[in-house]
Amino acid sequence: MNGTVVLGLGNLVHSDDGVGVHAIRAMELDPRVPAGVSLVDGGTQGLSLLPHLSGAERLIVIDAVDTGEKPGTVMRFEGKALRGIPGKASVHQLGFADLMIASELIGGMPPEMIVIGVQPESTEWGVDLTPAVQAALQPMVKVVLQQLEIWQECSV
Amino acid sequence: MARMVVDPVSRIEGHLRIEANLEGGKLTDAWSSGTMFRGIEMILKGRDPREAWIWAQRICGVCTMVHAIASVRAVEDALQIEVPENARIIRNLIAGAQMLHDHVVHFYHLHALDWVDVASALKADPVKTSQIAQSISNAEKSSATYFRGIQKRVQGVVDSGQLSLFASGYWGHPAYVLPPEVNLLAVAHYLEALEWQKDFIRIHAVLGGKNPHPQSFLVGGMATAMDPNEPAATITPERIDFIRDLVRGAKKFVEDYYIPDVMAVAPYYKDWFGRGEGLGNFLCYGDYSSGNQNDPKTFLFPRGIVMGRDISKVLPVDPSKITESVAHSWYDYSGGDTNGLHPSVGETNPKYSGPKAPFEHLDVDKKYSWLKAPRYDGKPMEVGPLARMVVGYAAGSPKIRASVNAALKALNAGPSVLFSTLGRIAARALESNIMAAEMEGWVDQLGSNLAHGKVAIFNPVRWEPDSWPASAHGYGWHEAPRGALGHWIEIGNKKIVNYQAVVPTTWNAGPRDAQGLKGAYDASLLNTPVADPKRPLEIMRTIHSFDPCLACAVHVIDAQGREYTIPRIS
Repeated sequence: MNGTVVLGLGNLVHSDDGVGVHAIRAMELDPRVPAGVSLVDGGTQGLSLLPHLSGAERLIVIDAVDTGEKPGTVMRFEGKALRGIPGKASVHQLGFADLMIASELIGGMPPEMIVIGVQPESTEWGVDLTPAVQAALQPMVKVVLQQLEIWQECSV
Repeated sequence: MARMVVDPVSRIEGHLRIEANLEGGKLTDAWSSGTMFRGIEMILKGRDPREAWIWAQRICGVCTMVHAIASVRAVEDALQIEVPENARIIRNLIAGAQMLHDHVVHFYHLHALDWVDVASALKADPVKTSQIAQSISNAEKSSATYFRGIQKRVQGVVDSGQLSLFASGYWGHPAYVLPPEVNLLAVAHYLEALEWQKDFIRIHAVLGGKNPHPQSFLVGGMATAMDPNEPAATITPERIDFIRDLVRGAKKFVEDYYIPDVMAVAPYYKDWFGRGEGLGNFLCYGDYSSGNQNDPKTFLFPRGIVMGRDISKVLPVDPSKITESVAHSWYDYSGGDTNGLHPSVGETNPKYSGPKAPFEHLDVDKKYSWLKAPRYDGKPMEVGPLARMVVGYAAGSPKIRASVNAALKALNAGPSVLFSTLGRIAARALESNIMAAEMEGWVDQLGSNLAHGKVAIFNPVRWEPDSWPASAHGYGWHEAPRGALGHWIEIGNKKIVNYQAVVPTTWNAGPRDAQGLKGAYDASLLNTPVADPKRPLEIMRTIHSFDPCLACAVHVIDAQGREYTIPRIS
């Protein structure tokens, strides 16, 4: 499944903030991930991630998304909802939304893009996920795998 | 007198708050506060020292490589391990690439919007921009058609309402003085820089294993095998050619875009050669050795200290004179807060005593920051590109002297203009040029070593913990893009007993110490004029000139209060 990127974002030393990276690590060992899918541990990087996105046809981003829901709630954003994810609120020098626009400015976003988010409980210093988010890890991975399957069927 | 608050300072890494007093249109005092706690030291205690770098690289959201380097050097120092020449060269290349990438991204994508008005660029005459471009640079992309195309692309983004990338500028502020044509030039190169950095950073994928988080560091060397007999050999003649092409491209980018753009914008903002002076004390650990990685005599950027802007002499750096004060920081020292502690015996006991959010002002007479206040011999110091250029200039480094003198000549100015907001910006561009030239030499050396069968890259002599002493202390220093970075480690019973990182932004952005001395940020803001307190562009200019990195990077996307429905998945 070339041209498909799964990008996990987050800071591993800030407990639930690192959930995207935890998900990537789980998927790296998962035989259900179709061959050719590129799994990227994006950490908290900004523009350095552009080379990983360039040329991608399909992109799934996994990240902690704070919407005030119950901790561990898994959410999915696509289409217009993605535009609502703000860049300025991020404490990074350039947020995820900035990365998306930068990507568009220099030649295009992946035509298909989905964000799978989970509501964090804690983003304090620590290397472990909270139980609620730990419990959401496999359901998140499952959602990602289902999406990959849908794309795979469409591309055949 | 009015108290101003800028919180958060945007387009930086991490959370920074500035409180400042404004009197008669000028700042009379300032207090910087890091409003997030960094607790990596607590996470590292009890771990295997050989894996410290894997965690340390997550200290910061952006500069992963620099913490990995400082960390392995600290352990190598503690265990007295020499690394092979190839490992030293590859580390230099990784760190040099990080520096070039950071500086270009800082100038074009984080700092330029303090000087360049994107809205004005849309009104420019592309023909005139083309004439300006061709008069200052050999860049190939310089036709009126090209600049017209750029205007169209930017207009497209503006029309789509997705201004996020440009949203933190204060468009229309009277302190923007560039003509529309120069604004268009800068906006065009903003996009060129985006494109360039995307390709250039592939160097890290080759040398670091997996950008953005390197996998290839090792205590004792690097894991990037060079021996062609090894199946996993990653340093091959083809890859060396690939890296050489990227490094040459970087040099061309710096020469054709970065330096000419700085020199084109600076004359319009000459006032800023006299603002933002700061402390006048500069500390450079020095780095980028051409011999033993810890031998200052072979450093590209010399080790030293310049005090009170006196470039007639360079003082030596005594590692034992570094301390951190928590008199105004939200920490407790077990022996009380009056005296600073050396990082080798440093403590990280967080104790927040500030006001509960939401609050109006911090009580700056008490504790008010999550940053500690590093001091050298009790004195606050500025670190970073300007410190490197000032110390190197004072130390008589021929490469630094030539580069600085050429810039001063073009600006028709003396060395005193370096001590300023624009001086920091120029220093960053100049050292990028020096670094790009140096990197090609390192690539050639690596290629020559490979061709001659000199492929050692890892020194295994102290890999096994059984070979370690029962207890050991060490420190690892690195000149990171933002300045002097140090990691201190204490190893006991094969585990990490204590770990402290003193990072560049802590030197520059730290709060007052027990004596009430200001850090570099606070000193640099004094006397800065502020035209419109609601849009403190002038504060941004000076603070951004340090390239702040508050090094803590919690990443949660905050979607609260946004108007869209959340499709739930159960």
